[in-house]
Amino acid sequence: MGAGSLIVLIICGIAFAGGGILLSKVLAQTSTNAQKGQAYECGVPTQGRSWIQLNVGYYLFAILFLIFDVELVFLYPWAVVVREAGWMAFLEIVIFLFILFLGFLYAHKKGALKWM
Amino acid sequence: MNEIVQFMLPELGLTVLLFVLLFVRIVGKLELAGQVCQLMNIALPILALCMWFMPAPEGAQFGGMMISSKLIVTEKLLLLVGTWIISLFSSPWLRGHRHPAEFYMLMLSTLMGIFFLLSSGDFLLFFLALELSAIPLAALCNFDLEKHVSGESAMKMIFSSALSSGILLFGISLLYGATGTLSFVQIPALLDGSPLQIMAFVMIFTGFAFKLSIVPFHFWTADVYEGAPVPVTAFLSVISKGSMAFVFVSALYTVFRPLSEIWYIAITLLAVISMTVGNLFAIRQQNLKRFLAFSSIAQVGYLLIGISGSSIDGMSSVVYFVLVYVFSNLAAFAVITLVSSATSRETIDGLKGFHASNPLLAWVLALALFSLAGIPPTAGFFGKFFLLTAGAAKWNSPVLIVAALNMVVSLYYYLRVVKAMFMDSSDDTMIRLTPNVSVQFALLLCTAGILLLGFYSPAYEWIRSLSFGI
Amino acid sequence: MENTVSILRQIPLNNYILLSTLLFCIGVIGVLSRRNAIIILMCVELMLNAVNLLLAAFSAYNSDPAGQVFVFFIMAVAAAEVAVGLAILMMVFRNTGTVDINALNKLKG
Repeated sequence: MGAGSLIVLIICGIAFAGGGILLSKVLAQTSTNAQKGQAYECGVPTQGRSWIQLNVGYYLFAILFLIFDVELVFLYPWAVVVREAGWMAFLEIVIFLFILFLGFLYAHKKGALKWM
Repeated sequence: MNEIVQFMLPELGLTVLLFVLLFVRIVGKLELAGQVCQLMNIALPILALCMWFMPAPEGAQFGGMMISSKLIVTEKLLLLVGTWIISLFSSPWLRGHRHPAEFYMLMLSTLMGIFFLLSSGDFLLFFLALELSAIPLAALCNFDLEKHVSGESAMKMIFSSALSSGILLFGISLLYGATGTLSFVQIPALLDGSPLQIMAFVMIFTGFAFKLSIVPFHFWTADVYEGAPVPVTAFLSVISKGSMAFVFVSALYTVFRPLSEIWYIAITLLAVISMTVGNLFAIRQQNLKRFLAFSSIAQVGYLLIGISGSSIDGMSSVVYFVLVYVFSNLAAFAVITLVSSATSRETIDGLKGFHASNPLLAWVLALALFSLAGIPPTAGFFGKFFLLTAGAAKWNSPVLIVAALNMVVSLYYYLRVVKAMFMDSSDDTMIRLTPNVSVQFALLLCTAGILLLGFYSPAYEWIRSLSFGI
Repeated sequence: MENTVSILRQIPLNNYILLSTLLFCIGVIGVLSRRNAIIILMCVELMLNAVNLLLAAFSAYNSDPAGQVFVFFIMAVAAAEVAVGLAILMMVFRNTGTVDINALNKLKG
């Protein structure tokens, strides 16, 4: 079982796949018409451009999510050391989250979280 | 605890103001927010008085993260007064605006970033403060939401600041790798001029050059200044740039002190290019904000000459120059804000016949331009004089000759505006502008600053007693 | 932590520096040459992440946690920067209907 068997395997594989395709080309009857070019089994044809504009509101949610999501990265190192660091660390994270929460309230007040 | 509160008084004071604004904006009605913004005109000088009478103790806190000295307190005080003047003269523009509270929130958070930047003693705090002073500014540039140019200027601002802070960060990380520390105190002893350190320094220098708009990295400046609303342009060109000049000079004089032979060559070359290009481009500008943008690029060139002196005079002349620059440039911007919010004219031709209709305002603008050009009785002359004296200590006369020639060129374009105001007449005469009390006060403050600083020499001596050289 | 550091140290430091310099250069070239504003923001992210990689590698080699702390802050700040950038982009899109920065040519002189 050396490199020779691998070569034999590759040749057999190519012969099997290629032979099948070649055989079907030779034997099968082919016909071409316009209907064949259409999208397969997808109901009605599409109308207009497929690059449609998404509502701007979606981006707003994405941006808000991005900010609040990434700020939470600071909670991981905090969680590791909170037992040793004691109440002072707890107070600090409460202040941090309070500031984030104010930002969230501001977004709410501006109506950025309303689903249109 | 008490000590820390006194140490961080300026930053904590701004935080309280920000919280009040945010709280009012969340809970209250829009009119209430507008009234609270009027209160900011009183709250900012109160904070300045607190900083004056309870100055932060010298030394370091938070394990060397934050440092404070008398010089830093003075710089913060100067920038706070500058922000107060902007807040005073932006009131007529802000009155017609839908988001007054947001303007103050963004402006004060930028100022807080600048405060942290000035007292940072570690590259971590330095980077955070730099971003805090850059990101809200981009949002401020887009403050006229429905104007196309405003968005465009904000876009250019955020891209250039992101690019520059990326380059700066790469430099910081290389420096961290080469020295193994981020602390400003420990780095100088570990700098020996190895290739990695030189590379790191070049990157950090480039980042600074972007923020200060030194010439090869100045392309964003004119567009951003032109598109942004006038008070924001004033903030960008005076407060933001002044703070960067402070940080630049203290970083070069402390952190990069061992590399002074390298940066000396770099900044003398860049000074020559900045002055020349800034002045030559300023000649052909029609828009007043664009004109002031190129003039500020040229002013940065003069500033670099002062820094290149690398003596105690180098630092004190830079601080003094920014002190003068705050008053003279803000006086110019105050008048331009008035004109543009009343008549929406922002070109030099739009000022034709300004003296006939508004003699007093025309004189204030002329005085500001004289000070920017450096004509003797005004403070601007002494600012430039001290810069060149500091630069002359190194005996590089070619640079000084170029600077002197550039001042002649700059005189031409500053006087072009004065000529338009006083001598040209125009078909559509300007209406008579009536500035309200706060704008009058801002103009008075700036004029007094320009005139008094020119005659009151102890100011420079006092700054010099706080400064340090290499 | 110790385990991670030893894994990081199996690769020579030079390779980290080369890789992150390469990534950083790709980012810079992208910022300078691309015309689509969103792709420019992505390239800025690439620059910042190259810096992150470098900081983490130096931190592991210096046995000093300061670099890794720095990485956390860079991530948070990058998110804030992109959020503001995207918000500005939205305003520009509302005004002009495109995110191509060649359309940003009203300011010239």
